[in-house]
Amino acid sequence: LLARGKGGDEVLESDLPRAVALLKNLQEQVMAVTAQIQALTKKVQARTYPTEKGLSLLEVKDQLLLMYLMDLSHLILDKASGGSLQGHAAVLRLVEIRTVLEKIRPLDQKLKYQIDKLVKTAVTGSLSENDPLRFKPHPSNMMSKLSSEDEEDEAEEGQSGAAGKKSANGAVKKYVPPRLVPVHYDETEAEREKKRLERAKRRALSSSVIRELKEQYSDAPEEIRDARHPHVTRQSQEDQHRINYEESMMVRLSVSKREKGRRKRANVMSSQLHSLTHFSDISALTGETPHLDEDQNPIKKRKKIPKKGRKKKGFRRRR
Amino acid sequence: MSDTVTIETRKFMTNRLRQRKQMVIDVLHSGKATVSKTEIRGKLAKMYKTIPDVIFVFGFRTHFDGGKTTGFGMIYESLRYAKKNEPKRRLARHGLDEKKTSRKQRKERKNRVKNVRGTAKANVGAGQNPQD
Repeated sequence: LLARGKGGDEVLESDLPRAVALLKNLQEQVMAVTAQIQALTKKVQARTYPTEKGLSLLEVKDQLLLMYLMDLSHLILDKASGGSLQGHAAVLRLVEIRTVLEKIRPLDQKLKYQIDKLVKTAVTGSLSENDPLRFKPHPSNMMSKLSSEDEEDEAEEGQSGAAGKKSANGAVKKYVPPRLVPVHYDETEAEREKKRLERAKRRALSSSVIRELKEQYSDAPEEIRDARHPHVTRQSQEDQHRINYEESMMVRLSVSKREKGRRKRANVMSSQLHSLTHFSDISALTGETPHLDEDQNPIKKRKKIPKKGRKKKGFRRRR
Repeated sequence: MSDTVTIETRKFMTNRLRQRKQMVIDVLHSGKATVSKTEIRGKLAKMYKTIPDVIFVFGFRTHFDGGKTTGFGMIYESLRYAKKNEPKRRLARHGLDEKKTSRKQRKERKNRVKNVRGTAKANVGAGQNPQD
């Protein structure tokens, strides 16, 4: 077969032993496959594999695969007897079956877990100990059983495990909150310092300086985000939050001196060109000491001192 | 420069629990100073077809650069409900409620009460300071 497609006597001669070996191999394999298929056919005819109550998806797959095999063998037969495959009807059928099989594949993926579970159950005969399905909710366990005749439900309660709530026969049990074991607080000063450094590093990584460097040296395409508003600041957001609260609660909140100062500073800063030359602190990455911005306050940890007698308890300044 | 004063209401809600209608009021008054509360009450009365006596407005803040003021307003179903549901300070603005004692008197009474113990505290009246 192989030799016929190629021209030339020398090629014929070199390929001839190989062709003979391949043909012999083919013959052996065909005999083995035929024997197996005959055995299978006998079994199917003897109805050892009933599929009426099985999954219809698997049935469809079976039939499709069989049709695929039939069409394929038809094609091979035609090709072996010298015909061409051009415009062969079986090719179209094959393509169609292949497409359907590929569309079924994601469905198959989704069912895979459940099918495996079923097969395992069928093989081993019972559910395993730590099967998570055992912990599915049993709403019947959550109803209080007022009569004392519901003894037969006790057997089911063994399965519910942690998820189901067991209710005693008769009385409604008082709610007992779970006792959580307190964990020892072990953070030393060094660990706190490390955490602070981590946070500062993360903040520095997303500062404008580093971002621009990244854009310059990375190969990724430049991303242009849809900017909400170039001048939306923290202060304007907080103002908006305050206005929303005031209008929905129909009260007027008092503005503390600190808040007034912040607002004034925000107005002043945005109207000048200060922010052009002010960059955020990236000392966490470079290892230098944190420097102070000239106009802004030094970065210090803000301690939360609870104010006594806060009048408007509903409004909380967004941090 | 418009000469008229326009009133718009936002976030209108009928509060059945307090027998009133409450809303946020936007007053547009470009070219003029902030509008007085009585004028706003009059205009609201015409809009909602009630008398201005049951309308209480408060909390007016003029935005920067003038022209727009935002405040709150409540329109009660009757004066009886208004007296029941409105805080005393707002009723006092309309002359419907008077404070009986002044702040100074209250504080002096408190200090006099501090000197007495037990049920006699209730008998401490006003003006019991020994005059010299």
